[in-house]
Order: sequence, then structure tokens, then C-alpha cells
Amino acid sequence: MIRHIEEITLDSLLPRVFAREEMPYSQVWRKKVVFRRGGRYLVEAASGGGKSSLAAFIMGSRRDYEGSLEFDGRDASALSIAEWQDIRRSHIAYLPQELSLFPEISAIDNIRLKAELSGGADMHRIDAWLDRLGLSDRREYPAGRLSIGQQQRVALIRCLCQPFDFVLLDEPVSHLDEANNRIAARIVEEEAERQGAGIITFSVGNPLLIENPEKFNL
Amino acid sequence: MGLISKLLRKNTSPARLAGFALSNFIGLLIVAGAVMFYIDSRAIWDDDDSFVNTDFLVVNKKVTSASTLGDRDATRFSQDEISMLKAQPWVRRIGEFSSSNFRVYASVSQGGRGMETALFFESVPDSFVDIPGGDWQFGPAQDIVPVMIPKDYLALYNFGFAGSAGLPQLSEQLLTGIPLKLYMRSEDGTRSLSMEGRIVGFSNRLNTVLVPDSFMQYANSRLGDGGSEAPSRLIIDVSSPGDVAISDYLSAHGMEVAGDKSGSSAAYLLKVVIGIIVSVGVLITLLSVFVLMLSISLLMEKNISIIHRLLMLGAPLHEVGAPYIRMILLGSGLAWVLSMVALFVLRSVYSVALEGLGISAGGLVWAAATCTLLALTVITVNVMAVRRKVRAAWSMKIDNV
Repeated sequence: MIRHIEEITLDSLLPRVFAREEMPYSQVWRKKVVFRRGGRYLVEAASGGGKSSLAAFIMGSRRDYEGSLEFDGRDASALSIAEWQDIRRSHIAYLPQELSLFPEISAIDNIRLKAELSGGADMHRIDAWLDRLGLSDRREYPAGRLSIGQQQRVALIRCLCQPFDFVLLDEPVSHLDEANNRIAARIVEEEAERQGAGIITFSVGNPLLIENPEKFNL
Repeated sequence: MGLISKLLRKNTSPARLAGFALSNFIGLLIVAGAVMFYIDSRAIWDDDDSFVNTDFLVVNKKVTSASTLGDRDATRFSQDEISMLKAQPWVRRIGEFSSSNFRVYASVSQGGRGMETALFFESVPDSFVDIPGGDWQFGPAQDIVPVMIPKDYLALYNFGFAGSAGLPQLSEQLLTGIPLKLYMRSEDGTRSLSMEGRIVGFSNRLNTVLVPDSFMQYANSRLGDGGSEAPSRLIIDVSSPGDVAISDYLSAHGMEVAGDKSGSSAAYLLKVVIGIIVSVGVLITLLSVFVLMLSISLLMEKNISIIHRLLMLGAPLHEVGAPYIRMILLGSGLAWVLSMVALFVLRSVYSVALEGLGISAGGLVWAAATCTLLALTVITVNVMAVRRKVRAAWSMKIDNV
């Protein structure tokens, strides 16, 4: 299995649906982009720019692209199912825009489930994050009964409680106020730093407030 | 992984699982029960003549006035007729009867009384005779000839002759213990041979005095006139005794089957009935497999978004399939246990009823093996279906989302 992913390389990458269209200027599509472990990246996009497609390509849930996507020189389209599952569990943490929580189980169980899958959770750290994001009294609530902003914070914590070389955040703070945005950004930066990981965050206008990200226009 | 399995078991219907277990149980029980009954009862059919298989028929031509008037060739089988018989689909193999080309006299003496009779010998290829313990053998160095006589001969003597002649009745055990003195002489009287014979079995199906083929060749070469005649009787190993095609063919060609045919017809009928019952059981088992496959499939379809989300979190595929495989094991395991218990109960019930007929013990073993094999097949087919579905869920995520 993979030990670490040091680089994610996009080379002339383009969603197949865009292939015949006249594309507006983009710093990502059809270009060569390298995301490095330890780096901070903000990909800004208009809606419909293919932001979620890029996330799906990197997470292995879609392959309808032209060009190439490589992890440390290995072609992503050649990876086996087991390798993809390993990448998802231990190398790239992903917060999807639609959150993908399980509404029928509690907030803490959503987090615990992910931690169990990735080989054990540090409950102290998780409790501290819940506390900082103002969710301590919502731990046992079924996730489906939390507000969308609370769900977004639960999903962010769930995303962080696994080993990762990159954390990929698709509009992580779209439902948060600025104060919570700053807390969330701080937590992500701390955890990425602790793990030596890279941060890739997507935004359509309300970006996660991490410090000095390298910016790309999609 | 309690949480994962809790999520994946959502929408589970215990009633549907119980329905599967019940129908699978009924299917297994019918198939295994039929196998058990068939093997147990087969022992009853075979018991009366374990030396000669029920699948063997002895065939001869009808004796007509022509043959009485001297045309003995009329009752003999030509090579053409034999090869035509061999070409029939129900024929597995054919053995020819060889008869003795010399005169045979046998005498028994016991307790001062003696009895002597003129006799004849016939033989069939040794592979058609199944005498346990290697008794059905003859070598030139050996001076005891094993002999098999028809059971009817003994009955004829015991109940007809012995009573009227004031002779003692003889049991099979007694007879097999008494040595026979055999005196054999060539037709022209120039050569003769004295040997000891021993009765090693009584047959219902072979209506002749049978000796091993090796002895027949030995004696014919020493005492015979050198000529070999075409056989007048054939022993045929058939694939399905009692099949109408056999009796149709034989009567159309002027042949008839010797000996007791009721046993083989009844055995054939039993085979057909058991075959039908087994088919019904297999059908029910198949249906139960589809019930299970369908309900697990439906359950996974209902939970497909949970499955997709778990796969996106990196859950290993085998872990996503595990709760469904556990359900299959539970349902099939339950059906298997119930069937095994029911087989024991069923057998203890009918073995009391059939005790007098001397049923064998092999049935239960075969039934248990059949039941287990069938249950394992059901499990394998369903587990494979679950694995396929999980993989499909993984690739679908790739293509559609």
C-alpha cells in the first residue's frame, strides 16, 4: 500500500463534458498543476466550473476526464479498488459539498464511524474540536436533526479524524459565519500541520480563511 | 465495526429472511429426504440377490418348435444380433454365457447318505458376478471350484423333493459348508477330471449353475471337443431396467428376459418417483435461492446511498458486504440445521416401519452429505451475488455521480 502521497499532478486535465465547449480562461483545466504535500491551495470557481468534478476525479469516484491525474507519478486511472479505498481512508481526507453524513445516527457516531474505519480515533482531540466549534451539546443529536451549519461542522470534524496527506475541502464553510470560519480554518491548519499534510480548498465566493494559500482560478 | 453494520442492516425484513429460511428448509428436506429414502429402500431391492446387480438382465431367445425339432442354432445369438444389441442406447455392456462342452456329475455325501446328479455348467464374464471376499476365482493350481446355483433349485429340493423322498431339508448355510464332488468327462469318454466344488452363493436372477469364467476355459480346454458354439444366453448391463424400450426391443426380436423381473421394474418405478420428488425439491431450493437473492438485492438497493457514502469514506468492500453475507449464513445455516434435525426424525420414524425389511444405514450419511452440499451451494451463490453487487455499487459511483 501507499506510504504517503507527496504530489497530486494534474496534466492537461479536462472533464469530458467540457471537451467540445469554448472554455473561459482557467488556471487548472488543460494546464499542468501540482499540489504538494504541506502546501496550501485555494481553488476558486464560478458555479458550473467543474469544481465538484475535480474533487470527484481526485477522490476516484469519477473517471470521465481527458488528460492525466497522477499521484506521485502513478496514473490514477490504473489504481485498483483496494488502492482507492486505502487512499480514501488514509491519504486524502475529503469533505464533500453535500456533506454525506448519515442522518439516522448521532453526530458523534458519524465521527466515530469514520475514525473506526481509519484505524482508531483520538477522542480527546475530537472533543476539543467539538468544543471549539460549539457542538459539545449536540454530540448525541441525530445528524439529520442538526441545522445545516452544525452539520457542516460535524462533517468537517469527521473529515479531519483520519490520517491524511491531503485534505480536500469542497466549500467547507458555505453555511458558517466568519467567526466559525476562522475557527474552522485554524483547526484545519493545525491538523494539516500536525500531519504534514497539504490543504486543498474549493470555494465559489466564501473561502475557508486559511493563511496565504496559493490561489487558482478554475 | 458495529456502526457500519448497523447502518447497512437498515430496512432489514426479518419476515423475509424467515421466509427464505423456511422455503430453503423445505427444499433441502425434500431433496435430502428423497435421497435418504432411495438409498435406504434400494438396499431392500438389492438385498435378495447381492451377487448380481439389479441392472443386469439375462436374455435368451424364445424356444420354438423348430429348436425342439433339432435346429439348435435357432436359439443361439449370432454376432450380428449381439452387435445390434450393443448399439442400443440402454445397453452398457454385454456378457456372453459360455456353456460346458463336457458332461458333469456332482455328488454330495453326508452322514452316510449320498446323492448324485448329472449337471451342467455355464459361466459369464467375472465382472458380472459380485461375490465378496474374492471367492469367485479359479486357478489351475486350485482344486476347489466355486459354484453358484439358483435359489429356486434349493426351494425345489427342500419343498418338493425332500419331503416326498424322505430326505432332510437343507439350509443355505449348511449347503455352502458341504463339499461337492465333481466328476467331469469328455463326450467321447477318453478324458476325465475329478475336483471338489463348493457352493458360494444362491442367485435369484441367474437361472443356471454358474462357475467362474476362468474355470470354464480351463475345463473346456481339457475336456471339450475344441469347437466353440455361439452363446444361447446373454447377460446385459442396462442403464434403466424396467424401461419399456427394452421390453419392446426384446419382444420385437423374439427374445425374452429370464428370471425375476418384478424387482427391477419396482426399482425402476422407485427411481422414477424419487427422481420426480428430487426435482420438486431442487425446484423449491432454487426458488428459495431466488427469494433470498431478491430480498438481499432489494435491501441493498434500498440502502444504496448508505453503501455509496460508506465506500466514499474508504470502507473496504468486504466490510460493506459482510452484514448481508451474515444474513445469508444465518438464514441458510438455520435451514441446514432444521433439515438435519428433520432428517434424523424422519428416519427414526420410517426405520421403525421398515425394520423387518432390513434397511441399510447408508441413507442418512448420503442425505446429510446432499443436504450439506446443497446448503453450501445456496450460500456460495448468494455470497457471490452480494460481492458482485458491492463491486457494482463501487463502479456505479465512478460512472454516474
